[in-house]
Amino acid sequence: MTTRANLSLPSAGRQAGPGLTSGSARERLALGPSSQLGCWWVLAPFLLTACDGPQSALSTGGADAAQLDRLFTVMLVGAVVLWLGINGLFLYATRRGGRPVSRGWAEALIIGGGIGLPVVVLTALLSYGLSIMPDQRAVGEGLRLRVTGEEFWWRVEYWPDGADAPIVAANEIRLPVGQRTEIELASTGVIHSLWLPALGGKTDMIPGRINRMSLHPTQEGLWRGQCAEFCGLSHALMALQAVAMEEGDFRDWLAREAAPAGGAGGAGAAIFAAQGCGACHAVRGTGARGAVGPDLTHLGARGSVAAGILPMTPEAIADWIRDPAAFKPGVRMPAYAHLPEDELTALADWLWSLK
Amino acid sequence: MTDQPPSPEHEFAEEQASLWRITLGPLIWALHFIACYAAAAVICAKLDASPPAIEAMRWSIGAGTLAALAGIGWAGRRSWTQWRDGNDDVFDDDDGSNEDRTQFLGHAALLLSIISFLGVIYTALPAFFETSCL
Repeated sequence: MTTRANLSLPSAGRQAGPGLTSGSARERLALGPSSQLGCWWVLAPFLLTACDGPQSALSTGGADAAQLDRLFTVMLVGAVVLWLGINGLFLYATRRGGRPVSRGWAEALIIGGGIGLPVVVLTALLSYGLSIMPDQRAVGEGLRLRVTGEEFWWRVEYWPDGADAPIVAANEIRLPVGQRTEIELASTGVIHSLWLPALGGKTDMIPGRINRMSLHPTQEGLWRGQCAEFCGLSHALMALQAVAMEEGDFRDWLAREAAPAGGAGGAGAAIFAAQGCGACHAVRGTGARGAVGPDLTHLGARGSVAAGILPMTPEAIADWIRDPAAFKPGVRMPAYAHLPEDELTALADWLWSLK
Repeated sequence: MTDQPPSPEHEFAEEQASLWRITLGPLIWALHFIACYAAAAVICAKLDASPPAIEAMRWSIGAGTLAALAGIGWAGRRSWTQWRDGNDDVFDDDDGSNEDRTQFLGHAALLLSIISFLGVIYTALPAFFETSCL
């Protein structure tokens, strides 16, 4: 067989057998001579980077995600077996065998392979999927969270057992390990979706409705979540960090989070008040009680600035305040570029010190 | 087979009945589907998902499913007879004769009964596994 120079020739497609001729250009390339295959295989390992990291459904840290991971493995293995079986038969029929079979054999193959086998496989998969649904929708115990999707950040409220007012935070979710936490999902304005792939499946947040999910982290760790429903200009920049902590650590953290801000005040606090930041933001323990934007009471203790897109440093906070829209198109917060650099620095340092 | 050919009116009436009959399987499937989904929607949304009501619904869906499967089974058996009885060329019902036409409708009704049978089982499976409205 001579090497084909032009892979887009129809004959190159036909080479792969009928049924594959309508594939995309890329598929046809992949089916081409080995010299072309080589450069594509070099890129293949990069796909494996999706198998690990803080935002992978294949590297799990929670009971729900582990169950979905198993479901995926079962379906993948099944699909590979079926694919090999069908293509093996196809190859056998077109290349090796080619002898006519009796009517009885043909009917047995069509009825068995076309009706019997799919019915068995689909029934088994459906039963498997349905049998894990009650676990995926299980009710939480003790702590309850309310996460509200805003444009483009997350309002997070912790309701410990028996609480009559929530502990308000933002853009970070902390969960106790070894316990199932109930999470209520709300939204203002547009539809968002909360997805922490390493902990569980995603659920939409729909305006005017309270959806629910529950998560059961099984190991301590840091995971990344992402808004999974297009919600506007900065949808892709609407992320959050999830922290799974041992139960004792979580209780201590929640007690700290419930306390008012411990900042000494000073220049930064004065600028915060003078600029009217408190009209939108709350810093408990000061006069700032706004509820339009994220609560900043313990901003410095969070892992990121601006819902998962900037590192938690005084510089990043200053950059953000100077021009939020430069980082997050469509953001509601106005720019404070008119502030002198030294005031901006003082303000950012103070916010960063709110641990 | 009679020596006398049937009158055109009689023949038409019989074929019409046969056409209606092939819809029987899918019709039972559709009614079962609507009943299951309507019951679940009413109990979960309007009756506050009370556990006794859910339990009663699951048993009712079970009973309704058995009834639906029996009905479809009966329709399937009937269409099998219509297709096979006195048919010596079961996969060659395309001569255009009245007999072939009837037999073809029987074949089609049988296949529809099979898919309806499976559809009813798949519709009922969630009621078998899920014990709450969550």
